[in-house]
Amino acid sequence: MSRRNRRYKGVGYYMRRIFAAIVFVGAIIFFAPFCYEKMQKLPIEQILNSSVLKDRKFAASVQQINNDNLSAYLLEEHSNPIVAISFAFQKSGIAYENDEKSGLTAVLAEMLTAGGGKYNTQEFKDLCAEYGIKIGFNAGMDDFNGYLQFPREYQAMAVELFKSALLHPLMPEDYFELIKSQHLIALKMQQEHPESVLADNFKRFIFEGHPYERNLLGTKKGIQNLIIDDLKDYMKSNLAQDNLLIGIAGDISTDEAKQLLSQMFDELPERNNDEMLSRITIETRGKELSVSRKTAQVIASFAVAGTYRDSVDFYPLYLANYIFGGAGLTSRLNKEIREKEGLTYGIYTYLAISDAAALLQGGFSATADNFAKAKDLLSEQWQMMAQNGVSEDELTEAKKSLISSYNLRFADIDGIADMLLAMQKYKLGSDFLDKRNDYINEVELSEVNAAARKYFKQIPDFVYIGVDDVKEKK
Amino acid sequence: MRLLLAVTLAAMCVIKPISAALFNAHDFTLNNGMRVVVIENHKAPIVKHMVWYKVGAVDEIRGKGGVAHLLEHLMFRGTQKVKDGEFNRLMNEMGAESNAFTSYDVTAYHQLADVTKLEALMALEADRMRYLAFDQKAFAAEQKIVFQERQQVVENNPAAAFNEKMNEMLWGSSPYGQPITGQNDEIKALTYDDARDFYNLYYSPNNAILVLSGDIDAITAKNLAEKYYGVLPTSKVVRDEPEEMKQSFIAGLQMSLPNIQTPKTVWQYLLPKSSNLIVSPYAYLVLAEYLGGGETSALYRDLVEQQRVMADVTVNFSYIARGNSIFRLSAVPNDADDFNAEQLASSLKKAIENAVTDLTDNKLAQVKRKMTADLVYVNDNPSTAANWVGFMLAVGWSIDDVENYADNVKKVTLSEVMKAYASLKDYAKVEGWLLPQQQKDLVK
Repeated sequence: MSRRNRRYKGVGYYMRRIFAAIVFVGAIIFFAPFCYEKMQKLPIEQILNSSVLKDRKFAASVQQINNDNLSAYLLEEHSNPIVAISFAFQKSGIAYENDEKSGLTAVLAEMLTAGGGKYNTQEFKDLCAEYGIKIGFNAGMDDFNGYLQFPREYQAMAVELFKSALLHPLMPEDYFELIKSQHLIALKMQQEHPESVLADNFKRFIFEGHPYERNLLGTKKGIQNLIIDDLKDYMKSNLAQDNLLIGIAGDISTDEAKQLLSQMFDELPERNNDEMLSRITIETRGKELSVSRKTAQVIASFAVAGTYRDSVDFYPLYLANYIFGGAGLTSRLNKEIREKEGLTYGIYTYLAISDAAALLQGGFSATADNFAKAKDLLSEQWQMMAQNGVSEDELTEAKKSLISSYNLRFADIDGIADMLLAMQKYKLGSDFLDKRNDYINEVELSEVNAAARKYFKQIPDFVYIGVDDVKEKK
Repeated sequence: MRLLLAVTLAAMCVIKPISAALFNAHDFTLNNGMRVVVIENHKAPIVKHMVWYKVGAVDEIRGKGGVAHLLEHLMFRGTQKVKDGEFNRLMNEMGAESNAFTSYDVTAYHQLADVTKLEALMALEADRMRYLAFDQKAFAAEQKIVFQERQQVVENNPAAAFNEKMNEMLWGSSPYGQPITGQNDEIKALTYDDARDFYNLYYSPNNAILVLSGDIDAITAKNLAEKYYGVLPTSKVVRDEPEEMKQSFIAGLQMSLPNIQTPKTVWQYLLPKSSNLIVSPYAYLVLAEYLGGGETSALYRDLVEQQRVMADVTVNFSYIARGNSIFRLSAVPNDADDFNAEQLASSLKKAIENAVTDLTDNKLAQVKRKMTADLVYVNDNPSTAANWVGFMLAVGWSIDDVENYADNVKKVTLSEVMKAYASLKDYAKVEGWLLPQQQKDLVK
């Protein structure tokens, strides 16, 4: 993006004239009106091949920047005067909490925007709101995440507020009690929604005894147990430079970004001494758990072992999953169970990858009278994947889809910053974007089908919620 | 620091043009009456392509609830030139994120895609505007799918019955009081002809707005719009505006539902249409933001942070509609175990009165700064602009209303906000309590 801007700067005037000429010629050649009545079939291929827009390309250039102990991926984008920074402290999420203090990181995330340095809670929040500065933290299962976004003209104030929040948080006692009581209520409200009750049960069923079974908000007891010193201790031992990943995108130069890095994170301790959770083996064998509740539909989650981002199986399984349940309305599952039969509003599968576990996971919901049939069709499709894999045509279409949608990842700068962060988390390299379409293209049918055989041979474990009361009801 | 801020702010006011347009949109109309709006955003070679039809659930015949939404689904099920399944297959192959939605007032179809695919998207969207041809089998499947959708999205929500009852009480006989999805038995009774009739009545270029937002210049956009949409034949569209509701009453609703764990309260006021309000709609918007627009709002600070009687409180004002506008407050009490509905309602009323009495010109200026500071972000994702512009134009606002949003907010005076607040008592209001089952006896 930055490359494009620079190129246009010097020769802008001439480029615009040439472009205007192209548009003019285009108007004669391509803008002849379209006669729908006369057509048997819409000539989509022909439209695409002769489109005035068909040659539009662009190159996004990601660079790695370094400043002392800190490094980040940067993508400059100067069309709108805003900057987004996304960052993650690895080995510092919910799974790394002490069991007795379960809920600590979620409370910490809120307490880090409760004022800092010379700004009390209200001043801090008011200034952010009045200047369009967005500062937030979020406890993930593996990582403790955060973001900073600001209009370019308020960069100095944004950095000042951010530093006060992360390095000198006030942690006022009364606000701490407020957040704790809000989280206790949120924990209750989670139980109102069948999806969140299902998610909780699913985690416990699959990850029993492992930290991954935890609720994202913690436990009632864990939250009640918390004292402010727990948060301070956790910060000291977890939020460091050597477990910090940073993505920066937007209206900022390389030099400014380097400076920003040190301003934001220079004062953090150098080391985090935690070990990353070691990878666990998932073994499913068709176990089922049914959670009873009065709902309009039965909702189901299911899973088998999946694969990690660094595995040779990753791209083959990624494509197999895309065709099976990942491509939205055109996935095999949606075509068979939604579009043909009308049994569900939607059914999907995806690769759920964490530091220590990799799942091929899915879900759907259907009224009780449809549920068994939908589940049977799912099982039939599942076995067909294991036995026959996918066809050459399906693979070609999936590749076209994934390559054609490549540029959609640049829709917004906070999304870009998140992507830059993920590229580092999964060790994809700063040149990943240049290579990504080749990674997709190079996968062969035999590899996809080997992955389909290997992963769909497993029998999924199932958790569902809801009872057979739909017929009574209507 | 405070002083420095004041200086920066003063400088800002001088440098910045007073009326900066929000999107700098290009707005024109094709010969067949289809309106086109183009918002350029050249960050990446992608584009949001949307077609908005000025028709929604309020235009349904009574008893045919859900037909607007069912038709929206059927728009994906084949035309005279694109067989069933092919539309979705092409969208997938082109890597387009394709979807649609139905609201009370409008129905919109949209794709986010690489700009190299735009012409094909336009050809396909234009085609289904006039040449839709779903068959009985697709109809039967989609009828079941929208029934499942209602169960999943509406009825699986533990508060569904409460939400729908609140709406019904507030709106009375208006179509806005009925669910967009239709009732369960209405969905099941809809016929193939109902969907076809609705399509024939309302789907025509002269009842539609095309919005293009992204990496496309206005000239190319105009040429392409003429090429693909400009050639479509029109039909006469007769669309009645929904009747404006003018009741004045205060009603209460208390409902206990099985899966509810903690009490919640919702107040809804039914105000006139935004064009008939006694002061600018932006005055109500400012009032809502001041009272309950997030963690920095007056009610949040008083009731949640200071008094600790609520765990959350929010206020909002919906005015982008063809019918009446709605002023809404919702709150979650902090202590479910020592719960007293009457006392909480009176705390809320007292806090609102205090907040309004405390409002000064300085505080008003601060609220307005908060409301406009975020606007720099609306030109980031091309979908944001497309949704904002499309929705406002489709329900009858002008492009100037869209572009001058910041100015309209800034123009609001203290006396207008006071008038807006004072007017609330003149309109219909429903005060609702949603309670856990074991708590139903606690409400006196």
